[in-house]
Amino acid sequence: MPGFLDDIETLVPALRRYARALTGNADRADDLVQDCLERAIAKQSLWRPIGPVRPWLYRIMINLHRNDHRRRRGSPEPEALELLSVEPASPATQGARLALAETAAALDRLPAEQREALLLVALEGLSYAEAAGALDIPVGTLMSRISRAREALRAMVDGPGPRLRSVK
Amino acid sequence: MNSKTTITEADLNAYVDGELTPERLAAIEAHLADHPSDRERVAAWQAQTATLRSLYGHLAEETPPLRLSPWRLAAERRRNLRRVAMATAAALVLVVVGAGGGWVGRGLVMPDATEMTLVSEAEAAHTLYTPEVLHPVEVGGEEGAHLTKWLSKRLDRSLIIPDLAPEGFSLVGGRLLPAARGAAALLMYENVEGARVTLYVVPQAGGETAMRFTTKGDLTAVSWQVEALGCVLVGSLPRDTLMKLAKASYGSLETGANI
Repeated sequence: MPGFLDDIETLVPALRRYARALTGNADRADDLVQDCLERAIAKQSLWRPIGPVRPWLYRIMINLHRNDHRRRRGSPEPEALELLSVEPASPATQGARLALAETAAALDRLPAEQREALLLVALEGLSYAEAAGALDIPVGTLMSRISRAREALRAMVDGPGPRLRSVK
Repeated sequence: MNSKTTITEADLNAYVDGELTPERLAAIEAHLADHPSDRERVAAWQAQTATLRSLYGHLAEETPPLRLSPWRLAAERRRNLRRVAMATAAALVLVVVGAGGGWVGRGLVMPDATEMTLVSEAEAAHTLYTPEVLHPVEVGGEEGAHLTKWLSKRLDRSLIIPDLAPEGFSLVGGRLLPAARGAAALLMYENVEGARVTLYVVPQAGGETAMRFTTKGDLTAVSWQVEALGCVLVGSLPRDTLMKLAKASYGSLETGANI
């Protein structure tokens, strides 16, 4: 038990990052992390025979988030994205800030399964194998979700059609 | 142009995510050098990744709020489980009081007064000690040899402490208790989910009996007599689980009787 709690304690910061990107809302993100940790502590017997704890925690979180989402669907006012409270790591120009906000908004418009997959790999740095395990899907399916997510994000942020860009 | 292999969108994604083998990596780099539109696409994806990290990366550098400490959450869970156990104990008292009215007729229905005393003692010990967090036992399970020697000496017979690890229960430890006639040993086991069962063992004469179930509220007891030991396994778990644990205990204790 102490070893297990130490293990998950080191993962809490990354779980908060993922939860925030997944929900787009600071309070909901921390509630989600708390639910996830409580679930993990209660169910820890299930992971021991299976494998590493990190993908398993993401899996719990994703399932909780999907359930939560299902419950909220149809509720009259969806919570607003916290676009203005975005705090980039380095001071950014207004233009850069706007680009960040645009990406955050686009991310929120992605289908949930694409968002889950892209964030596991691009933000959390999981390998394809780990991410596919966390989502319980084949690696090929994971890759096509990531690919679709990237193209959809690009279309939303950069606008449709080819764009002038200095490539050198 | 020796990179005649087809390059797919999956390859480009794998390139961005660092999932390519060295040979494949070389092939993709050669392809990108010749294909500006794919190069642009890859650059845009890399920029996306960088944007996502600058949007949310700082959260992983922050110290999480106290309410997200796994230690704290685990302690809260223990407190809640304890509250449930206390409520169960309270319910048990009510059941016993309620059953008091029918006490006269009790001996007629119940198999054996001695056995019932044994079961009651075992349940009382279970209810008292399993919610205990700091001192559930006098001697911890890690001091197995010492525990065996001590309890064997105090019960005046060689006792083998059953190993329930194959059933998923590890030994928390044991303690000595006063019993109707002399002393009893209480052994406590716990599974990874924190569910505890106790095995109550009393030296007493009697013929070997079948295993019997007694249920009070949330608690189920399995009792039996083997050689010169009365045994009761108590827990709030499904009957099947308790039966499996009781059989495993029975096997070990029986072996012990031959030594």
